[in-house]
This record gives sequence, C-alpha cells and structure tokens, in this order.
Amino acid sequence: MNLQAQAPLTGAETALIDLFAQRCNDLPGNAGAVSARDKAVAALKANRLPTRKVEAWHYTDLRRLLSSVPAWRADAPAKPVDPILPGARRFALVNGALAETPAVDGLQFDAMADSLRADVGGVTLEAPAEADDAVGAINTAFVSDGLRLSVADDAEIAAPVEIQSVHAGGQVHTRSQVTVGAGARALFVDRHTGTDDAVLASNVTELTVRKGADVTWIIVQEQGAQASHLASLGLTLEEDARATVFIANLSGRLVRQEVHAAATGERAELAFRAVNMIGGDAHCDVTLELDHLVPHTTSTETVRNVVTARGQGVFQGQIRVAQPAQKTDAQMACNTLLLSDHGGFSTKPELEIFADDVVCAHGATVAEIDHDHLFYLMARGVSEKTARGLLIKAFVAEIVEELKDEALVDALEARIDAWLEAHG
Amino acid sequence: MPAVQETIDQVRKIDVDQYKYGFETIVEMDKAPKGLNEDIIALISAKKDEPDWMLQWRLEAYKRWQTMQRPDWARVDYPQIDFQDIYYYAAPKGQTGPKTIDDVDPEIRRTYEKLGIPLAEQEILAGVQERRVAVDAVFDSVSVVTTFKEELAKAGVIFMSISEAMREHPDLVRKYIGSVVPVSDNYYAALNSAVFTDGSFVYVPEGVHCPMELSTYFRINEKDTGQFERTLIIAEKGAYVSYLEGCTAPQRDENQLHAAVVELIAHEDAEIKYSTVQNWYPGDAEGKGGIYNFVTKRGDCRGDNSKISWTQVETGSAITWKYPSCILRGDNSRGEFYSIAVSNGAQQIDSGTKMIHLGKNTTSRIISKGISAGTSQNTYRGKVSVHRKATDARNFTQCDSLLIGDRCGAHTVPYIEANNATAQLEHEATTSKISEDQLFYCMQRGIPEEEAIALIVNGFVKEVIQELPMEFAVEAQKLIGISLEGSVG
Repeated sequence: MNLQAQAPLTGAETALIDLFAQRCNDLPGNAGAVSARDKAVAALKANRLPTRKVEAWHYTDLRRLLSSVPAWRADAPAKPVDPILPGARRFALVNGALAETPAVDGLQFDAMADSLRADVGGVTLEAPAEADDAVGAINTAFVSDGLRLSVADDAEIAAPVEIQSVHAGGQVHTRSQVTVGAGARALFVDRHTGTDDAVLASNVTELTVRKGADVTWIIVQEQGAQASHLASLGLTLEEDARATVFIANLSGRLVRQEVHAAATGERAELAFRAVNMIGGDAHCDVTLELDHLVPHTTSTETVRNVVTARGQGVFQGQIRVAQPAQKTDAQMACNTLLLSDHGGFSTKPELEIFADDVVCAHGATVAEIDHDHLFYLMARGVSEKTARGLLIKAFVAEIVEELKDEALVDALEARIDAWLEAHG
Repeated sequence: MPAVQETIDQVRKIDVDQYKYGFETIVEMDKAPKGLNEDIIALISAKKDEPDWMLQWRLEAYKRWQTMQRPDWARVDYPQIDFQDIYYYAAPKGQTGPKTIDDVDPEIRRTYEKLGIPLAEQEILAGVQERRVAVDAVFDSVSVVTTFKEELAKAGVIFMSISEAMREHPDLVRKYIGSVVPVSDNYYAALNSAVFTDGSFVYVPEGVHCPMELSTYFRINEKDTGQFERTLIIAEKGAYVSYLEGCTAPQRDENQLHAAVVELIAHEDAEIKYSTVQNWYPGDAEGKGGIYNFVTKRGDCRGDNSKISWTQVETGSAITWKYPSCILRGDNSRGEFYSIAVSNGAQQIDSGTKMIHLGKNTTSRIISKGISAGTSQNTYRGKVSVHRKATDARNFTQCDSLLIGDRCGAHTVPYIEANNATAQLEHEATTSKISEDQLFYCMQRGIPEEEAIALIVNGFVKEVIQELPMEFAVEAQKLIGISLEGSVG
C-alpha cells in the first residue's frame, strides 16, 4: 500500500538511512555487495519499517517498536565470554567483527568480510526479494562480518562449536553461512550476548544440511535489557538430513527471530523447539516458515512461552505442504503460560496444504498455571512461590530435556533458573 | 490419511455439476438501470418508501465506500468487479413489498415449491407433525411474502421484511441498524449499507420464547443482478429465537454478487441461534459462473448471560468470504460457531469466525470442518481475542480439514490473542488430542483407537446437529455423513 510509504520517516528510519550514508564506504564488499546494500536501503526507504498491516509482522509493529536506533560505536569495549558448554570450541565475533577462530578438525572457515570482498569464490550479497523482509534488508545494508563455516563430508565434530557474537552496545550486524557436509555430524551454539547498553543487532544465518548429515543448532539469545535483536535463520534440509533447531530467547527488549526452513530432500527430518522467557517490557516474536517440498519428510515444532510482567510474546508458525509432498508428517504445538494481566501473547499457527495424503496438525494453548497442580504441591507444604517456580520450570524443561546432550540440558536449564530467579 | 471411498462418494453427490437449484424463473421484472450512483440509491430508497434518515444513511455509506479499497487479505482470487455493470434493484413486476400468498405471482410460487420452501401457512413439513416454520421469502431485491406474521404478532414477535420494518417500526430499526456492523466496517459492508434492498427483521420482546422457527429464503433469479441482503435480529432480555437462512441461485456463466450484512443483538439472558444452509450456485467445475458471496455477519452479546450461536453449512458459491462473529460484551456471555464448509470444482472458500472476549467469564467454542475436493481452495480463518479486562475467558477451537484429490488445498489461519492471565484458550487441530479422557474411556472398553476417535467426534457433532432446527439438521446430516477420518488440521 502506498499510504504507508507516504508517511513521514520515523526517527529510527531516518537514523538508519543516515547511518548508512555515514558508514557505507567502510562496509566490506565487492561491487555486487555495494549494489545490494544500496538496494536494501532503497527498499527500506520505500517500504518503511513494517507495521501490523504487513501480514508477516501482524503482531510485531516494528515501525512503532523500534522507536530509536543507537549510534554506531567503533570503540565499544567487549570481550568474548566463556562458552555455555564445557570444552566447546569458540568462534567469537566482537562488536560485529570476527575476532577469534580456533582450528577444528573437519571444519573450514573464512571471515564473512573477506568473502564479501572476494570477487571469486566469495559470498554474493543480495538485497531481499520480499518487501516484508525487514530483517534481511537491515542486515544486508549493514552487515560488517560473520563466519563462513563448512563441515567436511562425513566429519564428526566431537566438541560443540560455539559461534559467539558479543558486543558492548551500538550496532552489530553479522551474517553467517554454515554448510554441514554429507553424512557429517555437529553441534553448534549460536549465541548472542552483550552489555545492557542499547544495541541494534541483526543476524542472518544460512544453514545447509547436506545429504544424511545430522546437525543440532542451538540459538541462545541473551542480549542486554535494552537490545533490539533481529535475526533470521535460513535452513535447507537435503535428502535424509536431520536437524534439531532449538531457540532459547532469554532476554532483550525487542526480539524478532525468524526461521525459514525448507525440506528439499526426501526423508528429511526437522525438530524445531523454542523456549521464550518473556518478562519486563520485552516483546519477543518467533516466526517460523516451513516448506515441505518433497514426499516423506517429517517435522515437529514445539514452542513453549512464559510471559510475565508487561511482556508481549508472539509465535507465528506457518507450515506449507506443497503438492508433491505426499506423506508429510508435520506436528506443531505452541503452549503459553501467561502469568500477568499486563502481558499478552498472540499466536498464528498456520497450515497451508496442497497434498492430500498427509498428517498435519497444530495445537495452541494459552493458560495460566493449573490450579490443581498448584494445590497439589501446596497441600504438601511447598510454598506458593516455590510451587509456581517448579511448575513453570517443568513446563519449559519438558522440551529442553528432549535434547540428548546432558551438558546442554544443564546449561540451558541453568539459564532458565536464573531467569525465573530474576522474574519469578 | 487418504479419504475413504464412502466419503468420496458423498462429496461427489454434492458436486458442482449436480446443482439441483440451477433453474431460472421466467417472470417479468421491474429493474432499476444498471450502475451505482446516488440516483440509484435514492431510487431504491424511494421504492421502499423509506424515511429520509435512511436515505441519508445510505448516501453516507456510499460516500465512505468510495474511499475504501477492496480487501485483499483473504485467500481468494477473483477479477475486479465492475460495480457499474450490476443491477442494484430487480423485483418481480407489481411486487414492491410482501403480500399475502394469494397475491404472489404463480410462477414465483412454483419456484418456491420446486425449492421445497413452504409459502402457504397450512403446509407442514412432511413427517414432522406440529412443526411450523415462518418463512420470509426474498426474491432478488424484494421480500415476496412473509408467513405466520399474525400468529407471531400474538406472541409479540415482529417478523417481517426489513423494508416493511423501516416503515412500521422505524424507531427500532434506527436504534439498532449499523450498531453491530458499522457502515464503514469493511468494503462490502459499506456497499451493502448503501444499496441493500431487502432482508428480514426480527424483534423478540422481553421474556418471549419465539413460538416457531423463523427463516428467510434468499433466491437470486435475475441475470446481472446483485443481491444485497440486510438482516437485523434483536432479542430482548430473556428472549429466545432460532433463525434459519437458505440461499440458491440459477446456473449461469456469469458471476453474480451477493453482499449481505447480518446483525444480531442479544440482550441480557437472551439467546439467538442463527443457522445457514448456503447453497448458492457454485459455478461449474472449471470455475465458470457462480455467486460471489461476500458476507459480514456479526452478533453482539450485549447483555450479561446472553448467547449467540452461528451454525453454517457452506456448500455453494464460487467464492465465499464470510466470518460470522461474536462480540462477547456481557459478563458470562457465550458465543458458538459450528461450521461445515465443503468446496468442490473451482470453488474458493475463506471463512471462519471471530470471538472477541470483552466481558468477564465469557466462553466461546469454535468447531470447523472443511472438506475440499476438485481444484478448490478451502481456508479456515479465525480469530480469538481476549481483552485485558476479560477475566476467566475460555475458548475451545477445533478445526479439521480433509482433502480429496491432490489438486485442491486446505488451509488454516487462526489468530489467537490473549491479554489476560486468567484466559484459557485451546486451539486443536488433531483428533488424537481432543479428549484423552474420553479416548481412554472407550479404549479401556475394547474399542480400537480409530473407532473411538470417530465415535467421540461423531458423537460431538451429532450433539450439535440434534440441537439444530429440523430443516437444517436434515440438510446438515447429509454432510455430516461424510467420514471424519483422514482429517488434517
């Protein structure tokens, strides 16, 4: 609609456009990248930031929520932190620049900045094709660095790999491209953390899981209380590939995590899990688009949300089953504990089905803690506060514990405990 | 799970090529010139002998409509409609308003006979003793007859065409019209407000349980006409009314437009039950012809403990764009939506409901079954919204869809919004999770799981069907016979 385009630019939109003018000569990239960045900013200018009128942003009015944009800070003091898993190999991006790259057997890497500059064998930066892809547009315009990783065919990466983006406020725009070779196995932690200074962080990750590979991808978003975090994970599953994607949103003020997944090979399997702990004034949106394109693919999606205080939570999950994708099995559930009258939760679990021989289902519930459960515990002498804590913990732990790796379960549960301690 | 043969056969029976009501009645018509402008609106208003405020209201709506844009968010695809190429008023010659049955053109009487609609008061449905239904028959732009008016009047119930009500009960109409669906609510509602020609008006006074079923039968007959129906139903404190609506149209290659607005108002302790059997001509298998059915239906549970229940069986129309909704304003009010939508040929259905919880202890239930075949697209689009002050709101939603053949599509787009911690909302699309207790009960007694699920789901649906008026139940039963197995959410 043109009406929106005619509206005056908001402070944040102006700040982004000005920032681009100021930074564009310092951003890495060949001629193609420069043109893509220009196009992305032009699109941002033309479309503005999306409002509720844009269906993909129905519950996250980015134009209103992204009220201000912090300045770019070159000198922000930030240091890598300990990985969440003991013995993990840490790749660190500090203030949006690749700063630490360990050598890992079976793993090849390049800096994204170098790949963007390279004329041959690099990464082609492209402006987003869709007008509603605001995350893609912002990231394309400002991406400064990131990681390009590839796991060799049949490699079994024993130690977990943590890709850590740490910052001290300002602007952080990273992009990664990860390919897991045929038959390979690996566990990645994609972690975003920083100080409580205001930050606009964007991240785009493209993950390709080749034939028969098995990958676990854990997103741990623990940004500061003032952070605007806009992220997108693109996932391609080839034949017999398996992926477990687990998202833990533990903080941040404005969070949008998109996942665009496609099962492109037969017998591909996706397990998608998300735990969103939403308190304070946080607005947290997880949006999943999943395409089942070929026969015999399977997916399960479980999302658990806890909302307290003035938190606003959103889950949009769209499963699309294409006409050739017979025998698809897709099961989606979104369960929410809404614990405050000042908070809210909105969900839109969509199914779009063009194949007749499929089993697809979705369920969504929103409720507070079951009074019978509470009574059961309190009748046994457990205080109300402890009982509520236990029940909330149990509600989210159920899906955390599906992860087989014990150290991983412990690390995630410790973070959930800390959140409950702070918000309980 | 693929559909079983029995189900396929059932759906084939209601296939588009076997549309039974596609005949045309040849009767001399009195038509306004084609096109839409202020003169046409004034002409419609004059034909209906309306008070001036009504004309002004229409003109205001027309002004608003001109500034609005066609909604494009639904999953339906149709060419731009040329609103200047439609007759906005068409009535059988000499028929400007309802008459007694003896004055109705025999040709029109025969039409209703063929459709199985009793226009004579003494007629009683075969096999159903002592069961009477009052009928308001709307033929293109006018109501041709309304039956049992006197008997209903004895009970204090007003049942007449809305044009008549405008003249006889202007205060009531003025008080309520547009109070649930405002003039500028949406594009088609604004259009309807400007050019609506007829529909039914029902007023049930305090404490009255309406002594019989009320029904309106809409027939589009004339070529190139649009039908703009307006229905207004008011149930005063403690009143009860059950209302049915049926629709058919001739088989033609051109598309015809039906844009209706239905408003229901339930005061304290009142209950309104609204049932629809929508069987407009759906077009042929290639998508040629058929009715564009763009309908705004909304009920307002204005008083405490009020209840509004929508039931629809949707089998017709080339395009259906329809979301019968409930605004649960009164404390303890209840909204229900039961829907069976069957699409075949090249039909496109985008239908569902909205349940807006505003009052305390409000409850709503949504049961939607979509069945698509041929190359049709069948979408459930629904919204459940609990506002901040709506404590202890409760919703249960279940929508299942079934695809027959691999060229059709079934889609589910629910919007669920909770803003109060005491809300309990459940949206279910899997049969296996509906009620584990019931399932356990059956299986414990040796009934296999699949049979147990069928038993529970059928049992539940039957319960709904049994509550329905007989006329509806017979028609709906045919569709419910369709097996529920192989459902996808």
